[in-house]
Amino acid sequence: MIGYVGIDVGSVSTNLVFIDDGGIIREAIYLRTQGKPIETVQRGLKELDGKLPSGTKVQGVGTTGSGRHLTGVIIGADAVKNEITAHAVASSLLVPGLHSILEIGGQDSKIIILRNGVVSDFAMNTVCAAGTGSFLDQQAGRLGIPIEKFGEIALQSKSSVRIAGRCAVFAESDMIHKQQMGCGLPDILAGLCDALVRNYLNNVGKGKEILAPVVFQGGVAANAGMVKAFEKALKLPVQVPPYYDVMGAVGAALLSREAVARKGTSRFKGFGVADTDYQAGSFECSGCSNLCEVVEIAENDRIIARWGDRCSKWSNAIRPEEKIS
Amino acid sequence: MPVKVGIPRALLYYYYYPLWRTFFEELGAEVVLSSPSTKGVLTEGLKYAVDEVCLPVKLTFGHVLDLAGKVDLIFLPRLISVKKAEYICPKFLGLPDMIRRLAGIPPLIDVNIDRYKSNNDICLAVKEVGRLFTHNHFKIWLAYRRSLKVHRRYFRLLELGLMPAEALAVLKDRVKNEPLPEPEKITVALIGHPYNIHDPYVSMNIIGRLRTLGANVITAECLPEKTAGSYASRLPKKLFWTLGQRMMGAALYYLERPDLSGMIHVAAFGCGPDSMTGELIERRARTMGMPFLSLTLDEHTGEAGVITRLEAFLDMVSWKMAGTVGAIKSSS
Repeated sequence: MIGYVGIDVGSVSTNLVFIDDGGIIREAIYLRTQGKPIETVQRGLKELDGKLPSGTKVQGVGTTGSGRHLTGVIIGADAVKNEITAHAVASSLLVPGLHSILEIGGQDSKIIILRNGVVSDFAMNTVCAAGTGSFLDQQAGRLGIPIEKFGEIALQSKSSVRIAGRCAVFAESDMIHKQQMGCGLPDILAGLCDALVRNYLNNVGKGKEILAPVVFQGGVAANAGMVKAFEKALKLPVQVPPYYDVMGAVGAALLSREAVARKGTSRFKGFGVADTDYQAGSFECSGCSNLCEVVEIAENDRIIARWGDRCSKWSNAIRPEEKIS
Repeated sequence: MPVKVGIPRALLYYYYYPLWRTFFEELGAEVVLSSPSTKGVLTEGLKYAVDEVCLPVKLTFGHVLDLAGKVDLIFLPRLISVKKAEYICPKFLGLPDMIRRLAGIPPLIDVNIDRYKSNNDICLAVKEVGRLFTHNHFKIWLAYRRSLKVHRRYFRLLELGLMPAEALAVLKDRVKNEPLPEPEKITVALIGHPYNIHDPYVSMNIIGRLRTLGANVITAECLPEKTAGSYASRLPKKLFWTLGQRMMGAALYYLERPDLSGMIHVAAFGCGPDSMTGELIERRARTMGMPFLSLTLDEHTGEAGVITRLEAFLDMVSWKMAGTVGAIKSSS
């Protein structure tokens, strides 16, 4: 079997997929990043290597997510792309004819509007991360319920309570208040879902025309309560595609297929990357008063990449072919 | 020894620096410019500025502090109106008073520049500043005429498509044939206050990044003021602010240009006038089906958010031009 690997390194989860030459998803791995992107990617590669039949040939690798540059350098990626493009590419190929993508991840949320198979508009949450997966995670932890059960419990609600959704901090104090008043847990969780959806549609979806078919993806799409709240607010059916939680990785794999087709060769370093020693460090440059925080990635004590410097004096000191965007 | 006059590299420096510089030099003063914006300059500004002003005003505090100790006077005019029947943002109006209370800064030249009632009122300001250096009225008048000449040349360079930094370099080296940027397939209109988009530190080098990603960049400054004004007058009601007026007019003009591929609006977090002009521009861009991106700048130094949005925006623009998902211009 020959195919392509896509890796999406997000703030909360790291996902790896393997698609075959025809674009069919063969393997998908969902891991928690837990603040250790390099180790998590290595763990994921090892797991993927074990799952794939022997003799599998990786034709190309693509990375996306907030850790895309870091991962791209480590594994030798052919495509390093932002997550909006990756999500749009994956969804438009897996769900033909779709018009709207709602995506809520760990620390960001975005909306992508497609018309005639082309992205016509998109938006991401701005300065504030209220209403993303991390907040739901945190609240589930506070209430002592596993995040996997969150949606199930919210669906039992008969009438949801009103929770302020403008700010995560206020939402939390409002929830505590409603608990102390004696409202039931399912009603509070359903109210929280409604509040997050309201916040999302007001901030991220502001002024956008959301038409069916609507696809809801990202880690939060696992929450059935959120799906129901979206359907209620939009008055439209909302689909959660299979592989909703690894769509970014699928997009990265598809983009790598395209990049390799254009270049002819792949830069993938092989699954041996999982056993190589990588070290990431940072230092503050004192060349000027910008005091840039420069990040350095070392492979077996050899520096392979640097970034973070505004003037590029450190990043340009590396051999040019090792540079990532 | 000549008097040293400091000019902060902030706010309307991007419009009037050649004029101001020539005027002071003609009067025999030495002009000292504050250092380019850096994290250090901004941090100093944040330390002393009041909380509710916008990022560019906070940055101005940093630039003034950067000049302290290096100059005899700091030129910080109270900009009320630079054109008849229009205003400059109220935060500019209070700026000299906010700055004056800072410890250890040299005296300010805080002349009122107010052309609200009549454009000729600028002569009052010219005389007032000129008298600080000479009592010869003819010399002051001559200095003003010469500085206007340089100012016009600077604006002609901007209208040729040069960015302020490039135009200033041309003025300085007196290069005859101004090199024009290479034409690219994608042309993006970058609409925002000049002090936000042309300060590479504040804007996280947005113009450079767009160019590296393969886009031609045009701004409101590349358009003659008259054209911008006539397009802005299509609005049902006149905007109060000179800069907003120019941004609005340029946006309306560019939206009708057939070779425009997308529009980016840059606003500083907490900017009152921008919250209005940004919304007006966005609505117009949407009805015309133009790819539109709104970016908000604030104190955070993380560049990832800006890069992700710019990349995605240019992908969207390329897709739209190609009419398919397949043809993506890869940046990797």
